[in-house]
Amino acid sequence: MLFLILLLMAAPLLAEPPETVTTNAACLRCHGMKTLAYRHPQTGKIVDLFIEQFAISHSVHGKLACTECHDGDFAHYPHHAETQQRSLSCVECHEQQDDAAKRHYRFTTIDAEYAKSIHATSAETEAATFNCHSCHDPHRFHASQIGDSLATIIHNDNALCFTCHEQARIKHAWLPNRERHWETVRCLDCHTPVTNAEQAVSHHILSAADSNHDCVNCHSKNSQLLNRLYRYRAASDVASQGWLNTAIFNEAYVVGMSRSAVLDRLALAIIGLTLLILLAHGIGRYRAQQRLLRKQ
Amino acid sequence: MSAIYLYPRWVRIWHWLNAFLFAILIASGASLHFTGNSWLLDFAIARPVHNISGLLLIVSWFVFIIGNVMTDNGRHYRVQWRGFFGRLFSQGRYYAVGIFRNEPHPFHPSEAMKLNTLQQLSYLGVMYVLMPLLVISGGAFLLAVYLPDTIFGLGSIWVVAMLHLTVAYSLVLFVLVHLYIITTGDTVTTNLRAMLTGWHRDDQQETTK
Repeated sequence: MLFLILLLMAAPLLAEPPETVTTNAACLRCHGMKTLAYRHPQTGKIVDLFIEQFAISHSVHGKLACTECHDGDFAHYPHHAETQQRSLSCVECHEQQDDAAKRHYRFTTIDAEYAKSIHATSAETEAATFNCHSCHDPHRFHASQIGDSLATIIHNDNALCFTCHEQARIKHAWLPNRERHWETVRCLDCHTPVTNAEQAVSHHILSAADSNHDCVNCHSKNSQLLNRLYRYRAASDVASQGWLNTAIFNEAYVVGMSRSAVLDRLALAIIGLTLLILLAHGIGRYRAQQRLLRKQ
Repeated sequence: MSAIYLYPRWVRIWHWLNAFLFAILIASGASLHFTGNSWLLDFAIARPVHNISGLLLIVSWFVFIIGNVMTDNGRHYRVQWRGFFGRLFSQGRYYAVGIFRNEPHPFHPSEAMKLNTLQQLSYLGVMYVLMPLLVISGGAFLLAVYLPDTIFGLGSIWVVAMLHLTVAYSLVLFVLVHLYIITTGDTVTTNLRAMLTGWHRDDQQETTK
């Protein structure tokens, strides 16, 4: 009798239709396998279907269920062609968030900026399939974390660009101290126009020709670019180290930022002149002293 | 010959610590500003050295202010307006003309007033105008994230940088003149000894008495 009651209680569980068991764990049973991939029949390229569990759980989308983005009937294998081909809209989903208007990044702005970027307008065949996911892998992307060092943030940021831009090293041969620049400045800092402070970084990636080539824009001039660079660094420093450490070890100083040719020349001239006057004064005093000694 | 105790111990300790910080800040600041020159400090070293010394200089400045409020050392910085311009002129004339004619010093330090008018004026300018500006602009650099984007329509970092630089150059100028004026006592080392021992020896003072 007891067995029967237990069986009855368990019946709804046993009878649950397979359509609703698409939990993340269920998806990752297959997609968590490193070798899950297939060869695309048209292009012949290997399409990787592996989702790294650690990466997704630590990504910005880590708290979402797979089905929140991939809606449709995935309970059956092979999945229906129709469900597989649904495209995802980042902007739509992100703008639907309750706090979308208050967020640091407005996705409508990002969308508008991206539309103007070289990634969207280039006629190159490589750029034809470019979309948000080309840079921001939704299964592993996370914004820079508080606590990461500035060097790590910059390294990760730039590594993203270098995955496609293999020629970057050769094309930046003109840049003095290239490696030093790449360690301390993001690619984006030169390859985007300066935007207002509301949106920290523009998604309007410029072509090589339109990008900043002028050293003076960062080093010495009264420019927004310098402000952005300095304050971005100071902000990430404060976030990761607290203000006292930031004050001591701040990495924000941009060489030449405080340099003003006019002020430097003027000050050095005045200092030089003062030294000459002091020297002459000293000689005059010495001679007066000698005169006094001779008299005595 | 007479000797008066002009510089209490705390003033002397503060003075030499402050002088030490000035030397380090000028050397490291120049290394940041003109980085790349072989005779300067390495940029990676100069940066934390300048930041730490700068923070210590802020502490040092507060020690000076608090010391002047707590002790009677502050009286030396109170300007006596009666005969001010006359004293300023005679001090200026002494450095420009009288010193070459072996004329006696127009000013004799006393316990009531250890600074001549020209000295007093330059110290007031340095400690109560330039130093606060230096500290504010230096602090603004370190905590740039809290600055507004623009000040007076100009990029705030640039405004801060130019202010810091101008004040720094002015203080370098002060240090140069200060170092030279030290040698203009009764003997070349009279004033230097006074700041080391606290006692000011005045040979002329006795003869003129």
